[in-house]
Amino acid sequence: MTTELAANGKPFVHHHGAHCETAVTSALFRYQGVDISEPMIFGIGSGIFFGYLPFVKLVHLQVTAFRNKPGSVFRKAAKRLGANFVIKTYRDPQQGMDELRQVLKTGQIVGLATNLYWLPYVSERHRHNFGGHNIIVMRETEGGFRISDPTFGDPVDCSADGLEQARFVPGPMNPRGFMYYTKSVNPHPDLRRACIKGMKNSCGLMLRIPLPIFGVRGMRFLAKKVIKSPDKLGFQEACRHLAGTVRWVEETGTGGAGFRYMYAAFMQEASELFGSEDLAQLSREMTAIGDTWREFSVTAARIIKQRDKEEETFAKAGGLILKCADLEEAFFKKLQKVVRTLQT
Amino acid sequence: MELEDEIFNDGLPKKYYKHNDNGQYVLETDAPWAEKVSCALIISSNRANLEEIRKAVLAGQKSPLCYYIELRQMDPGMLANAAGIAVFRVKRHFRPEIFAKLKPSVLNRYTKALRVTLEELKTVPNI
Repeated sequence: MTTELAANGKPFVHHHGAHCETAVTSALFRYQGVDISEPMIFGIGSGIFFGYLPFVKLVHLQVTAFRNKPGSVFRKAAKRLGANFVIKTYRDPQQGMDELRQVLKTGQIVGLATNLYWLPYVSERHRHNFGGHNIIVMRETEGGFRISDPTFGDPVDCSADGLEQARFVPGPMNPRGFMYYTKSVNPHPDLRRACIKGMKNSCGLMLRIPLPIFGVRGMRFLAKKVIKSPDKLGFQEACRHLAGTVRWVEETGTGGAGFRYMYAAFMQEASELFGSEDLAQLSREMTAIGDTWREFSVTAARIIKQRDKEEETFAKAGGLILKCADLEEAFFKKLQKVVRTLQT
Repeated sequence: MELEDEIFNDGLPKKYYKHNDNGQYVLETDAPWAEKVSCALIISSNRANLEEIRKAVLAGQKSPLCYYIELRQMDPGMLANAAGIAVFRVKRHFRPEIFAKLKPSVLNRYTKALRVTLEELKTVPNI
């Protein structure tokens, strides 16, 4: 935690969070005086999700998304908490940078979507060509910007050139200067109603989408692919694909186990808010689901390291995903019932 | 093991949710082992792939465009979209003899999309 000053001298506290977008949103709200935690934003914005996108490839590996699409968490959370917010994209880089400078001068802090590959301060292990990384710009400095990147430990400096490059990358990974900030927020938001809305939406997203690649259906689809992969692709390539999946589970700012721990933390906070024992029970169930995902990634790592070849097989890894799918289906069905009994 | 430690000591740490003894969630910075293993595998295979392509370019089997596309973690479709050139043309330009004959106007489109200079685009780093 470090305190820095924004352009108009108002203090801004940099919190180190787990995920970029939720942490940015929570920081924007905190700056406006509403103290709200990162898991809470994640739950209210219906961040939890699953999607296996075999046709989208990053560095030759398929995308497995464990959260909703970039940008939607902020939009949903801000709407449900009754904030007055602005979201903008630009065609012209110059105009985008000019407007960013103007907004910063008024003392606002601004959330930006950037391409992770082009941010100058990112190290090699985080560098992949992904256009949905969120950061906060606090103020303009000489020749650059002061940036608070909540997934990383401390505020950093970034050159104006570097930021412009990261915001406007040619091609399909272009964030198009996606910029958002809250003009004003409701100082006493109705947290209960927002939580209920978020939970209901999450249930729908996980259970109701009639496509085989989203929600619990998507998990089963992925499980089948994982089980078949060594026969289809060969051991080496199958390992690479498995490693790619594990990276989406653990590495891409999920806070561990594909956001499942973060959602469990949200359920815990919600159970305190509503004083509901059911939600506390559900939080424990979600922790169990998170542990299963963690078990999957450990199994995958053991396959990659070729330890205990008899026991650690692709079939076991796929079986663990199937188990996750069953557990999550039961979890969200139960959550649907519990949400109906909650009072706003 | 060296590569895993090397890439995880480099750069800024991330945080992970952990259960503490009281059943509360707290944030900690030590990365899970599975993540280290899979990241190391992906990064090492990416590096090896890039090195292989670099050698192929020096041997005259591929055009430098292949190298830069891999360096920027793109695929032909993405580059085609970024440069405004049809996919089949981009793939054709992977052949060195065709790439050598390209006009500056086409090369300039690639330099903008890949963010390299014109001199860089014509060769690969020879270490």
